[in-house]
Amino acid sequence: MIDHLHRRTFLSRGGVSIGSAALATMLGDSALRGGESRSASGLPAGVPGLPHLPPRVKRVIFLCMAGGPSHLETFDQKPELERLHDQPMPESFTAGQPIAQLRGQSLKVQGPMQSFQRCGESGQTISDYLPFHQKMADDICVIKSMVTEQINHDPAHTFMNTGTAISGRPSMGSWITYGLGSECDNLPGFVVMTSVGGRNPQPIASRQWSSGFLPSRYQGVEFSGTGQPVSYVRPPAGVDRVGQRSVIDAIAAINRQRYETLPDPEIETRLAAYEVAFRMQTSVPDLMDVSDESQQTLDMYGAKPGDGSYASNCLLARRLAERGVRFIQLYHRGWDHHGDLDRYMKICCSLTDRATWALVQDLKNRGMLDETLVIWGGEFGRTPMYQGKGGPGRDHHIKGFSMWMAGGGIRPGTSYGATDELGYNAVEDVVHVRDLHATMLHLLGIRHDRFSYPFQGLDMKLTGVEHARVVSDILT
Amino acid sequence: MRPLVRLLLSLPNAVRNWPAIVAFCVFHASSCFHLASAADEVSFNRDVRPILSNLCFRCHGPDAEERAADLRFDVAESALESAIVSGDADASEIIARIVSKDPDLQMPPPETGKEVDAEQLETLRRWINSGANYEPHWAYVPPSRVSLREAATRETSTAIDRLLEHSARTSFEPAPRADRRAQLRRLSFDLTGLPPDFNDIASFEEDDAPEAYSRRVDALLASPAFGERLAEYWLDLVRFADTVGYHGDQDHNITPYRDYVIDAINDGMPLDRFSIEQIAGDLLPDATIEQRIASGYNRLLQTSHEGGVQPKEYLAIYSADRVRNFSAVWMAATVGCAQCHDHKYDPYSARDFYSLAAFFADIDEAQHFRSGTNSLPTRRLPEIDVLDRTDRLRLEEVDAAIALAEAAGNGAQLAELKAEKEQIESRKRRTMITQTTEPRVIRFLPRGNWLDETGDVMEPAIPSFLGDLRESLGVASDQRLNRLHLARWLFDVDHGVGRLTARVFVNRLWYLYTGRGISPSLGDFGGQGQPPVHPELLDHLANVLIENRWDIKATVREIVMSDTYRRAVSADPELRQSDPYNELCRSQSGHRLPAETVRDAALEIAGLLDHRVGGRSVKPFQPAGYYRHLNFPTRKYKHDQGVMQWRRGLYTHWQRQFLHPMLKALDAPSREECTAERPRSNTPVEALVLLNDPTFVVAAQAFAARVLRETPTVTDDVARIDHAMRIAIGRDANDGEQVALVGLLQSERERYGADAEAAKRFLSESNDLAHWPTTTSSTERAAWSSVTRAVLNLHETLYRP
Repeated sequence: MIDHLHRRTFLSRGGVSIGSAALATMLGDSALRGGESRSASGLPAGVPGLPHLPPRVKRVIFLCMAGGPSHLETFDQKPELERLHDQPMPESFTAGQPIAQLRGQSLKVQGPMQSFQRCGESGQTISDYLPFHQKMADDICVIKSMVTEQINHDPAHTFMNTGTAISGRPSMGSWITYGLGSECDNLPGFVVMTSVGGRNPQPIASRQWSSGFLPSRYQGVEFSGTGQPVSYVRPPAGVDRVGQRSVIDAIAAINRQRYETLPDPEIETRLAAYEVAFRMQTSVPDLMDVSDESQQTLDMYGAKPGDGSYASNCLLARRLAERGVRFIQLYHRGWDHHGDLDRYMKICCSLTDRATWALVQDLKNRGMLDETLVIWGGEFGRTPMYQGKGGPGRDHHIKGFSMWMAGGGIRPGTSYGATDELGYNAVEDVVHVRDLHATMLHLLGIRHDRFSYPFQGLDMKLTGVEHARVVSDILT
Repeated sequence: MRPLVRLLLSLPNAVRNWPAIVAFCVFHASSCFHLASAADEVSFNRDVRPILSNLCFRCHGPDAEERAADLRFDVAESALESAIVSGDADASEIIARIVSKDPDLQMPPPETGKEVDAEQLETLRRWINSGANYEPHWAYVPPSRVSLREAATRETSTAIDRLLEHSARTSFEPAPRADRRAQLRRLSFDLTGLPPDFNDIASFEEDDAPEAYSRRVDALLASPAFGERLAEYWLDLVRFADTVGYHGDQDHNITPYRDYVIDAINDGMPLDRFSIEQIAGDLLPDATIEQRIASGYNRLLQTSHEGGVQPKEYLAIYSADRVRNFSAVWMAATVGCAQCHDHKYDPYSARDFYSLAAFFADIDEAQHFRSGTNSLPTRRLPEIDVLDRTDRLRLEEVDAAIALAEAAGNGAQLAELKAEKEQIESRKRRTMITQTTEPRVIRFLPRGNWLDETGDVMEPAIPSFLGDLRESLGVASDQRLNRLHLARWLFDVDHGVGRLTARVFVNRLWYLYTGRGISPSLGDFGGQGQPPVHPELLDHLANVLIENRWDIKATVREIVMSDTYRRAVSADPELRQSDPYNELCRSQSGHRLPAETVRDAALEIAGLLDHRVGGRSVKPFQPAGYYRHLNFPTRKYKHDQGVMQWRRGLYTHWQRQFLHPMLKALDAPSREECTAERPRSNTPVEALVLLNDPTFVVAAQAFAARVLRETPTVTDDVARIDHAMRIAIGRDANDGEQVALVGLLQSERERYGADAEAAKRFLSESNDLAHWPTTTSSTERAAWSSVTRAVLNLHETLYRP
């Protein structure tokens, strides 16, 4: 029944929707407010009853390294791989296993292509591709035992974002803004940015930030670091702020009058939607305009304003976090290294390593890291086997790979889980994608097994129907 | 009261969300009042089954693998054997377990987070005490013959109205009939997706003839735009799109299929033939070219030729996709849930899933793993090159004339005809079709795992609880069942499930023309779906569809001719509060128009809309760089020019991975899966689109130009504002609207008067697309364009009246 209640509350016809509260606030009209106290912003307050637990963090910044970075050249050092380099891959590992591009080929071991260092006080091993990560070894918790279920990019992203490869399910950012509401009245609660730069990238589909069966206002809104920052956020040429305001005022006056004769809550919602839209026309450019950042900050990130780079997006992620955006997802593509892995790792890491470090340090310096969960990782890892499109590379791999988390509630300077001696199978403390989701929700104060939405007769959950666990060993 | 119990149990939540709780209580109080009080009788389907399904079936339901204690509550024999003592709730184990405080005994188990609340418990008790009668699930029982009820207290005109009068016991008076303007606007939007012309509204307002309304209904049903509007819905169901969906999301060739859908609906093709041609057009004897195009239905799914796809895995994915879509579209069933295990709530077993999949095993589709290219469009063999219907007919004539000319030896005429023939043939478009091949072996996949080849080989069969197809249709035992058998079974009212199928579709028609299904879950007629609020009405409409030999237009006519359809949108806050979803149908639903209609209406108002029916997909203005994340190949979006820019929304290039942002903002689906019902949002992103999308800016300017053009002698601003309002919403501006719009006009005149450069920049958005009267100044043009922008954004312009 509680689900029906949610549905009633959140569907647009449900009487109490985003706009009624927002409008009530704007108009100071207590009759519309229905006796309910809400934050001044009047934005969706989230699902009643949430959070279930005292939250450890307010928001998530998910750094998606799209294409699937090699765990074997970043965080998972495998001496045995070195020893067996160039020898046939033992069949005990690969027989009957799903294999992507290497299917039907003879398989041989590819040794690590980069050296590793023990770093920081924690002594975590991090590869020399990632010198800035090495500097923050004590800030992050590396999970070395990730597994997923999808071996091709597109479905693997869908799986990472929605917990299933079937289209039409909500992305985790949508789930979280739906559950916890927004803290920000002039920006969307779920923002996605994809950086430019790097090598020929894999495509990324907008379904990755779809709200699926959840109401569409929870869908991720794509911000662009170059050109128009949000689709249609710029008024038409020749229409300045005053002109746009006049048009919106006239619309509002007429709609308000209509509401008096036909008190349809949809009209209130529309009034509020136009008001928020108008505010976004200022707030979005303000967000994107980093001229108030010091040169020192820009240098720390390696950001050049307006270049659309991952570094600039990391800086914008911090600005989004400051403004109360709930779920911020950055995609950096180009990690699909079937061949020439060494060359392309250098490119990818040079574009992302420093900025990632800067983001974590900047959050820390501003006292925000403790209320933020930062997650870094790809949609899968890469094979211990050699693939040679050009120079040596590696194929897609789903049975064991690495991700890291940092921020509130996470034990810093630790690693968790392990793959076998060749880095093929996660064998110790395996963390499935849905465990990652459960843990993320837990830190936000949400019990994953109690957080559902009715769809097609089922109580749909981000973590699905299979068992999912909160990885409590990595929590403080 | 169940909600009150919940309220007491979770007070902090209740405080947070007080208005919703109140609304919920009132809503439920009234629904109990109007639906359940009928005779204090507990109905298994209406009252009990939803409780058992939601709280018990997961472990005590159809799924054999998950079943606990060998007990199931979906089958009377099993339940009555041990857990339920008919007539004695106190002696029934089910009740003892529900009320138990012992966590080891308590049901549902505490860890499920589910609980039976006080009202549900009382319902179960009453049901058991009154004999624990089971009923077959409503959706699996053929529609009954409905007695059409004499009007009880009110004079109502049609069977629909009488049935609703009987079913919706309520003290609320029905809303009065909508005024003529609202009736015609509603009818035009619903049937054609376009607003009516002001003159049509005026003439309807003055038409006293008794058949004034029905004449409009018939004219709109006969309009080619009817097929376009209904096609939009059909294309959502079958997930029609211009791109492959996965990975590179390349274009594929399929637009002739869309033309087929529009033409078929406009031809009045019966729903059964329409469906059979799509599912199995290629298997029909001497299949026509249109039937082969129709068979493209089987090719509408998402496909991939990504480097590294494992054909076997993708064949399994495609197979599941087909079963999901087929069962959702034609059966409102979620058979897709049975891919890995028996369905948890409905009697579909995992074996049923693979048996259904086997019907589609003959579709030749593996070719693209080899032949798929990263080009635009990609290849998805088998494909054929076809002409549209007009060209096809003309070509027949030309061919005949060529034969005559040849016989007559008329060289000059022959050359002319051959040139025409060549020209026609150059307009061929390519389209994916279905071609039957030797059926692939379909195995039962344990837990849906395509790597596991130990499962049984599955033969085509319908879900076993629905019978035996071979027996039903009398198919010889040595003949393999195929898609044609399956499609015929769907519509066979004597030997198949035709009557059930009819119910699925009339429910959707009711949704299209009132805003909500009689059973609100349009895609799920299973146990977890919501039972019909007015079961007799649903059955009646199903019978209407069947009696009219599956004639869609006749059934639509039945709905829109009812008094219920013609009611005003109620302003009564009490009615809105107690019946927010308008389930009682006392009023009509004033919801936002669908995405395509919002676009089409703006362009129609602006006088820009291109009315030609059918054709290739088109690309309207789109924000630069919107496709930047696509690759293989990278995309450069080039919007169409000229009249192709002003095509109806349904012809928009449907890029699955990046649906046009205007369509997306207004809730059009990506068409990756079957969409039986679109959500209706109302968001800031939508507001940004309607304010700033160049299509709407150009439309506003063309609209302003139209207003100025059509009022050459008028000097009064108010009269011109009236004219604009008449075009947009069919009436003059009222006092408040005049004040707001005159005020806007004045302030914009001042602003643009002082800033000629701004006016010029603003007007450059439309360039030569708006046809301005030569005498008007830039300031006037720009200021009036601001007024028309406001008019296009009014709630009343955007909403179904």
